[in-house]
Amino acid sequence: MIKCMVWDIDNTLLDGVYLESAGGQLPPPDAGLVAVARELSGRGILQALASRNPPAAADYVRQVTGLQFAAAECGWGSKAEAIGRIAAGLEISTDAIAFVDDDMIERAEVAAARPDVAVLTPEDAADAPGWPEFSPPVITAEARRRGEMYAARLRRQAEAAAFGGSRDEFLRRAGTRVRIAPATPADVPRLEELAVRTHQLNSAGTALTAAELGALIASPRHVVVTVALTDDFGDDGIVGCAVMERNGTGSWPVPAVMVSCRALGRGVLDALLGWLAAAAARGGAAALSVPCLVTERNVPMRLALTAAGLRAEPGDVAADGRAVFARPLTGPLPELADWVSVPPELP
Amino acid sequence: MTGPEPDLVDQLRRLLAEVTGRAELAALPAGTPLFGAGAGLDSLAGTLLLRAVHRRYGVDVAAEDLNLDALQSLAALAAFISARRPA
Repeated sequence: MIKCMVWDIDNTLLDGVYLESAGGQLPPPDAGLVAVARELSGRGILQALASRNPPAAADYVRQVTGLQFAAAECGWGSKAEAIGRIAAGLEISTDAIAFVDDDMIERAEVAAARPDVAVLTPEDAADAPGWPEFSPPVITAEARRRGEMYAARLRRQAEAAAFGGSRDEFLRRAGTRVRIAPATPADVPRLEELAVRTHQLNSAGTALTAAELGALIASPRHVVVTVALTDDFGDDGIVGCAVMERNGTGSWPVPAVMVSCRALGRGVLDALLGWLAAAAARGGAAALSVPCLVTERNVPMRLALTAAGLRAEPGDVAADGRAVFARPLTGPLPELADWVSVPPELP
Repeated sequence: MTGPEPDLVDQLRRLLAEVTGRAELAALPAGTPLFGAGAGLDSLAGTLLLRAVHRRYGVDVAAEDLNLDALQSLAALAAFISARRPA
């Protein structure tokens, strides 16, 4: 049962970033999430802050939200350590803490260092008052199902932390299965949802619309695949997709690779990039090229690209922030793990 | 290749063991590849290591190294950091 909800400030309780306020105008509170915090407070769940911000940010949040905070940790250190101090100060164990942050890597860092903490996206937090762990007065069937998916994630996170072997050894032991399949028109609604929500593990950095996705799936010139992920802990369904353009014996461009942040650390990006290289090579391509937006938030995408043997020329970052990562398709290609299933031929 | 600062390699080993939760990495040889058949890190673990490095040494590898070659091995990472560390 959760006893304390710890909020990052930027893009959670505030609708914007405290230190990036334009023209001295500080961001307003996020009405939806402030209402969540108030609802949870009413159930006796404590509210706290852990943020990379000056202490004045906590005062500002108190003032504009009217919320009471049991603890506030503002500074530049690790949030996992800040959460440890909050738990110690409140004399509760870290498994009674939920932490909300909009930044995927901050969430991953807390999840890795403190696997017993319930780590939530702002979207999860909006939903969480309906979950059993937050002791709601009424639990709907749908809320129970989402709560169970979340509980499966927590169990996986705790076992991964206790496991101690390499990532691949854990994925094998967890019964991970990654399935790459040709996208069909029936996949469009799910892919559109992914495109809208996936900002951080999105090579292009832009969201494809339903109409664009439908046209790409129908186009004989384009290869569009979905990637689904499941393991013994739970079935995540379709968690990503990729679009590749046939280009004869030249370099085949990949205008879009996107993977849900829930699949981070579970071998999905490696599988997708490995398959794209192999499929393009089988189709006669001499090379593979992936334009990728270079930002501080998509470092995992860049690491996966370089691990798959793609490289960008330093100095090649264009004015729009994109660099083209490419590799020739001669010589050994990335090996696919044996838990990855792929289409028998190029879709 | 061994880094110019053996102490730094040792600190990075401990940092790596900490962010991955894999105690055996605290004994990783300086030249072992961090990805693939070497230490078997994935892109998430690599990202967490870079965050920890940025916090501890003030060096933002992700911003300065487009292809992230500094993550080839602990020795490469130590060399990258000592060349750029604020005095």
